[in-house]
Formats: sequence, C-alpha cells, structure tokens
Amino acid sequence: MADESLFDFLHMEIVSHIYKEQQSSKEEMDNKDRAVCVSVLESMGFRVGQGLIERLTRDSPSFKDELDVMKFVCKDFWTKVFRRQVDNLRTNHQGTYVLQDNKFSLLTQLSNGKQYLDQAPKYLAFSCGIVRGALSNLGLDSVVTAEVSVMPSCKFQVVVQKL
Amino acid sequence: MTVHNLYIFDRNGSCLYYNEWNRKKQAGISKDEEFKLMYGMLFSIRSFVSKMSPLDMKEGFLSFQTSKYRLHYYETPSGLRFIMNTDLSVPNARETLQQIYSNLYVEYIVKNPVCVLGHSLDSELFSSRLDSFIRGLPFYSPRAA
Repeated sequence: MADESLFDFLHMEIVSHIYKEQQSSKEEMDNKDRAVCVSVLESMGFRVGQGLIERLTRDSPSFKDELDVMKFVCKDFWTKVFRRQVDNLRTNHQGTYVLQDNKFSLLTQLSNGKQYLDQAPKYLAFSCGIVRGALSNLGLDSVVTAEVSVMPSCKFQVVVQKL
Repeated sequence: MTVHNLYIFDRNGSCLYYNEWNRKKQAGISKDEEFKLMYGMLFSIRSFVSKMSPLDMKEGFLSFQTSKYRLHYYETPSGLRFIMNTDLSVPNARETLQQIYSNLYVEYIVKNPVCVLGHSLDSELFSSRLDSFIRGLPFYSPRAA
C-alpha cells in the first residue's frame, strides 16, 4: 500500500488548483463559481471511482441486491479507499441511504470540531464523485451529496435513481 | 519540572506560533518585539557558535542555560525553528522538539489543506493536540519548581 500522504497532498493541491483557476478572472468567488468547482471535482472523482471499483471487485461474486451493494461500499470499498469502514449505514429501503463516517480520512487533519467548517465541502466533492462512480459501475445510478456538522465526522447521502 | 513556553519560527523569521504554560515574568516589551528579539538573537548565536567552534561542527547551537531556566533549540532541515524554555531539570529536549515537529506540525499543519505554510498557525486542532502533548510530557508539571 503506497504512502497515504501521497494522495492526501495531491488531493489538497487539486482542490486548491481548481479554486484558483476559477477565481483567476475575478476578485471574489460567487456561488456559481463555487458550484462549478464542486462539479469539476465531483466529475474527477466519478471517473476515479469507476476505475477503482473495477479493480476492487475483480474477484468478488456478483451482488444479490441494492442493499448488498451498499454494504460492500461501506465495508470493503471504504476500507480500501478511505482506510476505515463506514460507521453507520441507514436506509429508508426506498433507494435513499445515509453513510456516516465519524473520522473521515480527508477531514481528520482539518479540525476537530467547528473550525474551518465552511471549507469542508471543498474537500468532500471529490469523494462524493468517487462514491457515485463506484455505484455507477456496479449498476446503480445515483446522486451523492455530503454534509458535515462536526468534523471529522461526515454523512454521505446516496439517492439511487430509479429508471 | 516544567515547560515554560514554546516558539515556532519559519526560515524568514516570522513567528508562526507561540504558547506559554508557566511563565511567571514577561519580557516587558510587546510580543512582536519579543519575537524579533528571539529570532535575531538566535540567528547571531548560531553564527557565533559556528565561527568560534574549535572543531568541525555537527549540529551547532543546541541550548543555553541560566540559573533558572534552559532554552532548547531545534532547527528542521526545512528551516523551521522550534524553541522551548524549560526549567533546569530537563537536560535535553531535542527529541521532544523533534516529536513536536514530526507528529504535530507535519500531521496537523502541513497536511491541513487550509493552513498556508508560512502564515501563522491558526488550526485549533494543532493547538489542542500540542497542548495535550506538552501537558503529557514526563517533565511537565502544572506547578513550577
């Protein structure tokens, strides 16, 4: 397993680079700019997630149902990508899932509470994309969003789109 | 047995972080002046030590002591300077300062995307971890000798 700091530093710089690029033409960033940055990061993550899931499910048997897929994402996938398992998975059995990670690895160095809370979404966009890409290649189209109230704990909400 | 205070300077002389645990007497000048004095003095001492050394120098300046306290100095290869004042019961805090650098500074500042290197260290996570680390040191006790 390669040194984790390699990805952490690269991710920090990717986020910073994308925001700087977007800001280069004007003084202040408005909400539209921020949305553009978030969606760029999310689509990068999407492609990464697609690739990762192909590699990680090479040897696994096929999944019985949607819940099984989500459990795989919460356990094996999360362990390989974020170095721990999801702490809590909740669902309404109608396509919405909430994954709660109490020590999300990309947020642990940021703060232990409320400091820098407004900056946290920037660093979650890429990971949302990773989850969406992984689910997409497992056959589930979804919309993934993340919310943080107290760092480093965060909740990812997955809404599976029905055809 | 105690730690009095800790300074962290970057290679340009700006004080990135300062905290005190057990300081009974202030310097009598403003904090800015105190930081400038500390950095300037150490810069001069280090060059003095290397000029006057009768042998080939390895680490250079490590610490000085008075009858009441000892000042420990550690400089990282990247030019970051850690300075800690302790009482005389602590012979060598170099390893402690090295641990502060690698386990606290690198972990919570360098790896923190919001902290800009070279600016003063605002991260509360860093402050609180540093505080518990210092309070957990074997030579720290809340009441100075």
